[in-house]
Amino acid sequence: MSHVQTHLDILEAEAIHIFREAAAQFRKPVLMYSIGKDSTVLLHLARKAFWPARLPFPLLHIDTTWKFREMIEFRDAQAASLGLDLIVHTNQDGIARGITPFDHSPSVYTDVMKTQALKAALYKHGFDAAFGGARRDEEASRAKERIFSFRAAGHRWDPRRQRPEMWSLLNGRLGPGETARVFPMSNWTEKDVWRYIAREGLDVVPLYFAGERPTVVRDGQLIVVNDDRIQLRPGETITRRRVRFRTLGCWPLTAAVVSSADTLDSVVAETLAATSSERRGRLIDHDQTGAMERKKQEGYF
Amino acid sequence: MSAHLRSIDAAALAAMPILEPFAPAAAEVRRASDLTGEVRVLTCGSVDDGKSTLIGRLLWDASDLFEDQREAVERHGRTVAGGQHFDYSLLVDGLVAEREQGITIDIAWRYFDSADRRFVIIDSPGHEQYTRNMASGASHADVAVMLIDARHGIKTQTRRHAALLDLFGVRTVVLAVNKMDLVGFDESCFRTIAREFEELAVGFAFDAAVAIPVSAVGGDNVAQASAAMAWYAGPTLLDVIRGARSAESRRQAPFRMPVQMVLRDGQDFRGLAGTITSGTLAVGDVIADVVSGQTARVARIATMGGDLDQAVAGAAVAIVASKDLDLSRGAVLSGSTHQARRAVRLEARLVWLSETPFDIDRGYLVRTATDLVPLTALAITARLDLASLARIDTETCGVNDIVEASMELGRPTAVDSFADVPGTGTILIVDAIDGSTVAGGVVGSVHETASKNAGTALVIDRALLASGLCHDLGDTIEDRIEFERRARELALLFQRTGVRVRLELG
Repeated sequence: MSHVQTHLDILEAEAIHIFREAAAQFRKPVLMYSIGKDSTVLLHLARKAFWPARLPFPLLHIDTTWKFREMIEFRDAQAASLGLDLIVHTNQDGIARGITPFDHSPSVYTDVMKTQALKAALYKHGFDAAFGGARRDEEASRAKERIFSFRAAGHRWDPRRQRPEMWSLLNGRLGPGETARVFPMSNWTEKDVWRYIAREGLDVVPLYFAGERPTVVRDGQLIVVNDDRIQLRPGETITRRRVRFRTLGCWPLTAAVVSSADTLDSVVAETLAATSSERRGRLIDHDQTGAMERKKQEGYF
Repeated sequence: MSAHLRSIDAAALAAMPILEPFAPAAAEVRRASDLTGEVRVLTCGSVDDGKSTLIGRLLWDASDLFEDQREAVERHGRTVAGGQHFDYSLLVDGLVAEREQGITIDIAWRYFDSADRRFVIIDSPGHEQYTRNMASGASHADVAVMLIDARHGIKTQTRRHAALLDLFGVRTVVLAVNKMDLVGFDESCFRTIAREFEELAVGFAFDAAVAIPVSAVGGDNVAQASAAMAWYAGPTLLDVIRGARSAESRRQAPFRMPVQMVLRDGQDFRGLAGTITSGTLAVGDVIADVVSGQTARVARIATMGGDLDQAVAGAAVAIVASKDLDLSRGAVLSGSTHQARRAVRLEARLVWLSETPFDIDRGYLVRTATDLVPLTALAITARLDLASLARIDTETCGVNDIVEASMELGRPTAVDSFADVPGTGTILIVDAIDGSTVAGGVVGSVHETASKNAGTALVIDRALLASGLCHDLGDTIEDRIEFERRARELALLFQRTGVRVRLELG
């Protein structure tokens, strides 16, 4: 038969199914858009789920003000070309208090500028469900995450209160005070994300491709200097290196890798042969044992 | 800031591994193309049987693990079997809470690729108090690996697991007889267990049931044939998993597509959006809704990537009908023959998932593929003893119980018997107040008429309201009036959806 389903077909159809289930059951959902490759795929899947109708929900970007310049440019270009309803939220209180990734520990910074900001934005707009691009393969505590992940009042995640999920029946009926996170890409891997980007010919932030960039070596990681807010430590020097990113976030907390992969094909080839998981490049996860699990319990996405 | 700048010794830089350009060797670069489908593998057994170790070992030997994941295991050291082996279970045991308790309490999902297929490992706990976790794991699985300790042989738990797998439709099962190293790789020990397993499996509807002697810590018969057990000529665990086929049977079943929503583009487009759960569909085919009796033909099978001539089970599509069908979410599209059943009464086998026991006075809803229907009556008729497969008459049930239940629906909906069409033969029972999923199950017989004694009604009493809808109200006159107003409004809403309600506010 001509309709042999590859594993990407299966993953795509499953994600579309999840999007439709959530849109039909939740009152006011929102898509968490973080501009990176996972968000790019997430957005594309959402468009497929509701085509030819418009997306029945807005996008929400939590802007810490420390995102790479190229990310913000990409975000705005995507929003304009796809006609997206985009909400940008920044924790102004955190800005006023001078919370920065250089002056505070990654856990404090993430809590204030991301976790608290997200909670405030969800509360402000009254969203009862938020789509995210998280995958079970990302980190040990995510391996047990549900597709519909319920949060008690205050957006706390309690592993013991999660609903069992059977077959493809997704129960989105909320209890008092509950909200939900929805993860259409739960069963995807990092490799699938790149395979899919290549298959669908999707645009991604140019930072995923190798280029000459100003870098410093800090704590064994390569940091790309995005603007003059860098606080160089004694002994550090800015050197231009040919690097790219496997994952994107706030620039002071996201490590680059030396690479010459400057096309989609070479990035895919590099990803398929990679020897370390992508979260190695995310400094916030290495803070302490079980860091992600703790962050989730506090309401991090 | 230039005051701090100082050049770093070039040799020191070169010594830092992060600065080495990553250049995959040509042989390592796999094609970027898709994998040909996926297989979902449930692993079940107790902590003591070495289940996490077995999965960890499978990942270690046969998968594309990342180097940092391997390093984490190596860093932990050879702490198993008197310091001979790494602790492969570290690759699987996830949550801190679990690591601290040393047990695995929830199902965990792992993904790995072989050269051409995706494998999804669904790791489930084995103890009786986690029957519900295993049941939900089984609902996602194409093949199940049951793990036992060679020293202890088949136990009651193995029988329970086999019964549960059969109940929830897993058709390929493997009995991994682990810890063969601890019985000196003894053939007769394995043969005795294998024979017992054969006898056990005969009682179920499995397509394939295979026993394999393994040693997870040593990797014997996991991904590679065991040198220590040359007497065993059968497949390795990986061989069986690789051979499992997943999607074919769903395509051969009759066509079903539960409607998730109706998509409109603001102009002429009106598409019935859903995932085809079984069978195939082509442009020109008849589509029918058994509840309303409406039929039409398929005018278009629309997707963002372009219209399709034909679509198969698993595809997410939007169907444009040849004429307007007055349908919405909850409808199930069938073809012209072998249609879904119009149900007003069901019998089902359920696994009770909630910590809160079944309460005949509580309001429940039944969730089908995409419909949510109030139940006017839910009755437990029997509990299944999984070990003996005996039916025990009962009217109560609690967490982890497997029960037979009958239910009266507030309005008709379309379902199938699980044995006929599994994709549309599964349900959830949902608590009407807090929305939680209290049970999941498979549909047995479907009845198109209500039972004669369908006189039972949902009882809404003072305690129920006080604990939920009216928990904010106190004892003032105003609050008591408000309490009664809400009670009446609630009863009215239920009645409008077809639920018989009895208010007991005395």
